Amino acid sequence: MGNKNHKKQGTPAELTYKLVVGASLILLSSILLSLLFGPVSIRGDRIFLEILNRIPGVSIDSGLSSIQAAIVWDVRFPRIILGLIVGGLLAVAGASYQGVFRNPLADPYLLGVAAGAGLGATIAIVTGATNGEGMFDALPIAAFLGSAIAVGITLVVGGAVGRSTSTASLLLAGVAVASLFTAIQTYIQQRESSTLRQVYSWILGRLSTSGWDEVVMILPYATISLAVMFSMRGALDVLAVGEEEALSLGIRPRRVRWIVIGAASLAAASAVAVSGLIAFVGIIVPHAVRLVVGASNRLVVPLSFFIGASFLILTDLLARTLQSPAELPIGVVTAFFGAPFFLFVLRRRSDGVI
Amino acid sequence: MKLFKWPSTLLAIFAVTILMGSCSSSPSQVTATGDASTTDDQSSEQATEPFPVTLQTPTGEILLEEQPTRILSLSPTATEMLFSIGAGEQVIAVDDQSNYPPEAPTSAISGFAPNLEAILALEPDLVVHQYLPEDIEQGLANVGIPSLTQYAASSLDDTYQQIEQLGLATGASAGAESTIQEMQQRIDQLMAGIDLSDGSSVTFYHELDPTYYSVTSSTFIGQVYAMLGLVNIADEAEGAGSGYPQLSEEYILSQDPDLIFLADTKCCAQGIETVSERNGWGVLSAVVEEKVIELDDDIASRWGPRVVDFFEAIVAAMEQVTALEPVG
Amino acid sequence: MESSDPLNVEGLAVTLGGRKVVNDVSLAVKSGGWLSVIGPNGSGKSSLLRAIAGIIPAKGTVHFQGKDIMQLNAKLRAQTVSIVPQIPIVPPRVRVIDYVLLGRTPYLGRGFQPTREDIDLAEGVMAELDLEDMSDRFVTEMSGGERQRVIIARALVQQPKLLLLDEPTTALDMGHQQDVLELVDLQRKRLGITVLGAFHDLTLASQYGTSMALLVGGTVSKSGPAHEILTEESLREIYGAHVSIHKDGESVSIIPERRKGPKGTPNSD
Repeated sequence: MGNKNHKKQGTPAELTYKLVVGASLILLSSILLSLLFGPVSIRGDRIFLEILNRIPGVSIDSGLSSIQAAIVWDVRFPRIILGLIVGGLLAVAGASYQGVFRNPLADPYLLGVAAGAGLGATIAIVTGATNGEGMFDALPIAAFLGSAIAVGITLVVGGAVGRSTSTASLLLAGVAVASLFTAIQTYIQQRESSTLRQVYSWILGRLSTSGWDEVVMILPYATISLAVMFSMRGALDVLAVGEEEALSLGIRPRRVRWIVIGAASLAAASAVAVSGLIAFVGIIVPHAVRLVVGASNRLVVPLSFFIGASFLILTDLLARTLQSPAELPIGVVTAFFGAPFFLFVLRRRSDGVI
Repeated sequence: MKLFKWPSTLLAIFAVTILMGSCSSSPSQVTATGDASTTDDQSSEQATEPFPVTLQTPTGEILLEEQPTRILSLSPTATEMLFSIGAGEQVIAVDDQSNYPPEAPTSAISGFAPNLEAILALEPDLVVHQYLPEDIEQGLANVGIPSLTQYAASSLDDTYQQIEQLGLATGASAGAESTIQEMQQRIDQLMAGIDLSDGSSVTFYHELDPTYYSVTSSTFIGQVYAMLGLVNIADEAEGAGSGYPQLSEEYILSQDPDLIFLADTKCCAQGIETVSERNGWGVLSAVVEEKVIELDDDIASRWGPRVVDFFEAIVAAMEQVTALEPVG
Repeated sequence: MESSDPLNVEGLAVTLGGRKVVNDVSLAVKSGGWLSVIGPNGSGKSSLLRAIAGIIPAKGTVHFQGKDIMQLNAKLRAQTVSIVPQIPIVPPRVRVIDYVLLGRTPYLGRGFQPTREDIDLAEGVMAELDLEDMSDRFVTEMSGGERQRVIIARALVQQPKLLLLDEPTTALDMGHQQDVLELVDLQRKRLGITVLGAFHDLTLASQYGTSMALLVGGTVSKSGPAHEILTEESLREIYGAHVSIHKDGESVSIIPERRKGPKGTPNSD
């Protein structure tokens, strides 16, 4: 659907094949790189053979020992895929929140997602409910529930306050709810000081996998929320001109807002449930994408998925190899890249480029 | 007046201790003044000679005029030590984490975030602890309550010195000496049964929690393992700094340790079953050969008299691996 | 495209912040006509327009071409009515072409992706408004006048049958004021669009409107042909302004006159 025939006319924003292919290549390279490198050195060709071997019906001897095979299939590969999903979820949720709130600094943890998850996780850790493995572990469920409850309260309080459809009341309600949940969480945490390390470690964020369990667990939520956010991206473009004008252009801003917030919160809550609070992805990635392709959400939302996924896969690669065999909390690595990026963006803004 | 000085042979090792709930460690010097007798004396619970006594602690000198009979312990390890040296009767309260021995009078006071008023309400005449915030220290000093700081030990020698110091502080020096002797005997016995020179090195992985936090040989626990000649796979991660690195799962699997010690059985309900159910861990030789040892979290994290139990558990595990005959 | 049904507003009322800013307003405009709404600041012109556009809550009915457009769903209403807002919100880093294409929103499918026809239509309108060289520029980088034309382009691209203009010439210099209003008038005559414009500038209001309504304190104080409403007495009374009126056929020119002295002194009146 190009516009190549007109000479002086501009080209409307469109998700071209070129962009999709480019973004996919970036993602594919990240996956490849992450498969090849890690704290344990394994021959690359054998890694791929082993993965092929796991396809039902295919039987290849990859030449790996049973431990190496376990590392590839039960540890490294699922972690990469989880990073893909979580990175994509956080970036798309961030882009969607930014569209709804018309603020490029909105991050997916607004509205209480982070504080709620933190409280849920703390309760689970402190009551010792985290004794299951993978799918039956209570921790992700508790974190998710915490998020859901916190966001629910925010939406009820923020949406109910006044008849205005302004987003300011939602944001304020989010701040209040987050403060409340954080206060409760801090209180519980400091009463149960013996679990301090566990809670702290969870908060820093970690792509922890128990084989493919977490991937399977998060897949339904990821698919639903991503599908909804993708379908709403055009509406977000219209929302950008404000609620009254958007209404005059034929969309229903309140409805769009609730749907997008619901889906983005679901995405963020599921991501946090399995990976703790990984900061910056939701802000850096959509911003970076916007700098390259412009502000149209029809492009920014889908491209943010690819770039967010790649970003998290690569930062996780660093998190597990920089201090090998020790691990760095991934939140540290993303913050390490996030802060300079923010500075860079600020400089560009002051130079008048943005 | 004779002055006896116990040489301090250890340098302080500074480590991040939030993981262990304790602060930096340094040795404590013990000085006895007055007509103090040596520690070889017969048991004499009469307090006339041992008191008054001045103790050197990391936070300064403290003077105990009389034998304390209302001791508050805010350190689970100190609690264990006090009871094992026979000063249990003099303890009126212990912190909420002090769960051994069972007869210790547990209170609701937190050793981590203590409440000054609650402490003062107990009217203690000695507070033993591992760390106190500045304001609480000041509060106790203002009221004239002596506060004895005993940091986490970084070696067995630290442990012995702390026990001795508690003996002096409570007038139970004889009990302290016998406790120390008993510990040393048992440990020597256990170590005698191990042949450290047979050339094979047994590797192990010590798990602090299910996110793969471990300990290196620079920690107290790590040193116990090192004394027994075991090779710690976490030592590769020494560069990460704190002594308590979070290991990568890939690395643990690739090392295929001969022994796996779980110190997260109580906090996080880990055990042989949960470990063998971890995806990918089923191929480890330690899992296959059932050499996954469940430790008591508390025993593995304290440096009191029960460290001997810790030794025993490790030695028993080693015997499985090397099929040595126990001696004695 | 032509319908003879006029625009009939009946009993329109808007309450904002507890105040009745539009109070029982009724007006009629013949199909394809142009009603200029004038009145002092705070008389409720903007709220009136926004209520007719359906973007703020209001009571009353607005019948247009046989339908009560207040009852239509947002999408259908957007295909009928478009509004050029007084203070538009312009998002940063959005190109002119994409901004103008927002006007096609009520006609787009689920993917919100403009088709070839949509793009051609937009480009055509932009050409008529002298914007064709600017489609790739960011709207935020344009001058006040250029930006106003972009917004009008968006409203026209919406292919409305009823076009609402909320003080559309405030940011424009004289030449551009005329350009823009001429263009709208041309579209009106060619496509049979009905126009409702709120104006600050009384001369322009009378030159381009086919009828006029004077709004004071939220109610219609007078309505009818411009020359009947714009008299020296009524302007003195409503605006407190001292003017002389010059009639020019159907339209009226208002010439402000300086007072002989400050208000209240002898000979100033």
